[in-house]
Amino acid sequence: MEGQVGGSGEEFAVGCLLSIKTTLGDEFDGQVMAFDRFTNMLVIQEGLKSGPRRNIRLLNANYIKDFSFLGQADDPLDPKKCFLDLSRLQAREHLAVRQAEADAQRIGVGVTTEAQNIFDALSKTLPVRWDKTVIVVMNEVRVSSPYLPESVSGGTAAANERVKKVLEFERKRLQARGSSQG
Amino acid sequence: MMNLQQVMPPKSTANGFGRRRGEREGGTRLESKSQSGKSNSGRVTTTGSVIGSKSGSCAVSSHDKLLYLASCLIGLSVEVQVKGGSVYAGIFHATSDEKDFGVILKMARLIKDGNFRGQKTVAEFVSKPPSKNFIIPSSELVQVIAKDVAVTRDGFANELQSDKQRELMIDSLISQTRHVEERELEPWIPDEDVPQLPELENIFDDPWNSKKWDQFETNETLFGVKTTFNEELYTTKLLRGPQTEELEKEAARIAREIAGEDTQDLHLAEERGSSIHENLGIDEETRFSSVYRGTGFDDSGYEEDEDIVLNTHNNETFGDSSGSVDQISTDFAIAKSSDGGQLSSSSFIVDEAQTSQSDGTGADLYCSEIPSRNFSTLDSESRVQENLLGECGGNNDAKDFVEKQPLPEDAQLPKSGDSQSSPNREKAGTIKVGRSANATPYSTSHVLSKGNEKTSSHGEPVDVAASCKAPGEPQSVNSRGRPGSSASSNSDRAAATSASSGPGLSPSSSMGSLSSEKSTLNPYAKEFKLNPNAKSFTPSQASARPLSPVADNAFYHPPNVSAVPHMHGLPVGFGMGPSLAAQQPVIYPQIAPMQSPQTYYHPHGPQYGQQMLVGQSRPVFYLPNYQPEMPYKGRDY
Repeated sequence: MEGQVGGSGEEFAVGCLLSIKTTLGDEFDGQVMAFDRFTNMLVIQEGLKSGPRRNIRLLNANYIKDFSFLGQADDPLDPKKCFLDLSRLQAREHLAVRQAEADAQRIGVGVTTEAQNIFDALSKTLPVRWDKTVIVVMNEVRVSSPYLPESVSGGTAAANERVKKVLEFERKRLQARGSSQG
Repeated sequence: MMNLQQVMPPKSTANGFGRRRGEREGGTRLESKSQSGKSNSGRVTTTGSVIGSKSGSCAVSSHDKLLYLASCLIGLSVEVQVKGGSVYAGIFHATSDEKDFGVILKMARLIKDGNFRGQKTVAEFVSKPPSKNFIIPSSELVQVIAKDVAVTRDGFANELQSDKQRELMIDSLISQTRHVEERELEPWIPDEDVPQLPELENIFDDPWNSKKWDQFETNETLFGVKTTFNEELYTTKLLRGPQTEELEKEAARIAREIAGEDTQDLHLAEERGSSIHENLGIDEETRFSSVYRGTGFDDSGYEEDEDIVLNTHNNETFGDSSGSVDQISTDFAIAKSSDGGQLSSSSFIVDEAQTSQSDGTGADLYCSEIPSRNFSTLDSESRVQENLLGECGGNNDAKDFVEKQPLPEDAQLPKSGDSQSSPNREKAGTIKVGRSANATPYSTSHVLSKGNEKTSSHGEPVDVAASCKAPGEPQSVNSRGRPGSSASSNSDRAAATSASSGPGLSPSSSMGSLSSEKSTLNPYAKEFKLNPNAKSFTPSQASARPLSPVADNAFYHPPNVSAVPHMHGLPVGFGMGPSLAAQQPVIYPQIAPMQSPQTYYHPHGPQYGQQMLVGQSRPVFYLPNYQPEMPYKGRDY
């Protein structure tokens, strides 16, 4: 365990309550759950209480700028209750990835926040997707930068009209909201 | 300094990144470790499989612990801070092997750019799509932050529960899931401070409320809005004529019959007021509102029931085809038998049979079963017929069909019936008339071929069914297999036509595919080719009662009469002048299937026309009135 933190591994004994400052400016309190000397990774659970769900940090001890010892408590992790259900974990991951992919579809890449806001507003009532920086509504109407009613093109007359209307409305709403929020 | 990209920086390799190259490896490694961790669950021993596990004072090596905790993060959304201060958010996928601690994220994106320290997150402007796999080598890794991580059994249970809660419980989910977390239902109790306004509660309960509330009136008064609502645009216009009362009665009778039917469906029974499961401890929820679950509730077997219910519904709407067919055959048979020595009819039938045979199994319909049955079945039959008609789908001919029903009855009373029936027929006939345009060929032929009233009646039902298939299409008639010219509406044809029409319909289409009885009906259904003409059924003479039975008569009778001597014998006097006219409707069962089955057929529906007929003691006579009123415009399918 090299680094600023001196010496003994005691400081990082399991169960220790510490207050830590990182070299990047983070500060937090927590209890040591584990410390791996080989990798120099410190696992801290935030807060001073243990519950079913905890906030955990895996911190590279190299980046600890400073810390102070707050106390010593028991091991927050009860080995008897620890087990891994790999399938569940993998399922969770797959689900998360799927959701993230779906979410990613909704984020325009290289578009302004305003454009993204408009997209989000439109997506509440219309099926929309991104095509580079063009918002494609109902797979037929296209709204390109600068996403004004004039920028609406394509689709049937009815669809086009509808998109224009919704766009205008949403713009107004965003404006109102934006201005009210200062 | 952001060399944290998917492409591994060269130095990583130097670091032995190879070991963690690609998530897979890392994942695998992690996996193996996890597994070892798993196998160690509950055991506080140092796992030997973990390479380089240090001897720790604690029973579980610290490395193991790290590994375990890292594993707990799999699939969670975490934030990773790297050396430069940038923070990436993504799904934790894997960690590196034991020597160095690197991390692999999936669907990672930059949420805080270290280069612009202090600035708001870069979420303001997304410059590139999330990285599918993002590797952060140990040299770059500062910290991994994860929230709400479950690390112990309690936590796992907790997580599972909240996951479930987040799931939207839609009906199909409830039905299919084996185990659904049930909520304890509590009865709703209204708030105390909600004002009770008893006068509002019953305002619409009494349908005969003297102060009827007219929404249009109210609207106009309050807002000056004039309505353009015209009920007749949406439904069959009710023709209220002299038979209104009778028809209404008949309609009510049929409605009662249907509503009183037994059903296995819990909810349906509830609706009908029958308490089939009163004694079973079915709670309120199941009785009124629960979603069917596949776990054997009280209304277990619902699935089968569902089918049954559906079938029931269908049957109710369209009549049990098999039933109908039976009926038809039966009637037919009866007619035949009752005619006694009316060989001609028999032969006639046979003829048809043969003819139809050529087409398919249609013949079976006619020739099969000659059980002696009484006409009491007529009623049901008529209903069935109605159903048939309905099935056929809006063919005017169906009406004829309906009319026909009574015929057999009449037939039974040779003389008296005749006279009586005649007038009835008249009425019934009117319906037919309307259709004459299309159906005629059918009906006439049908009638004629039958030879005798009974026969015809039988034939009609059958034919009607058949006709349903080919509403008012001359072709159909032809398809019957009868060489006769179905198209022509004159009676002469009738004989031929009818014959052809009769069997023709059935065999043509699906006959082959179906079993005996059923097939008779189904084929019709399938064969139903929408006849554009049929649809625009604005009965030419429909205006009033299709009192132009004469026209129809022309179709049916003359030839019929001649062709089939017994016909005369028939009380109905098919083809006999006025009586014939009356008959006509009857004769035409096969004629145009209802153009719009639904509209047409719903004895318990607003189809007064149909009911009307019934009122005339003809089970299925809706045709006459129905025709004219049919607002076919709407029905252009």
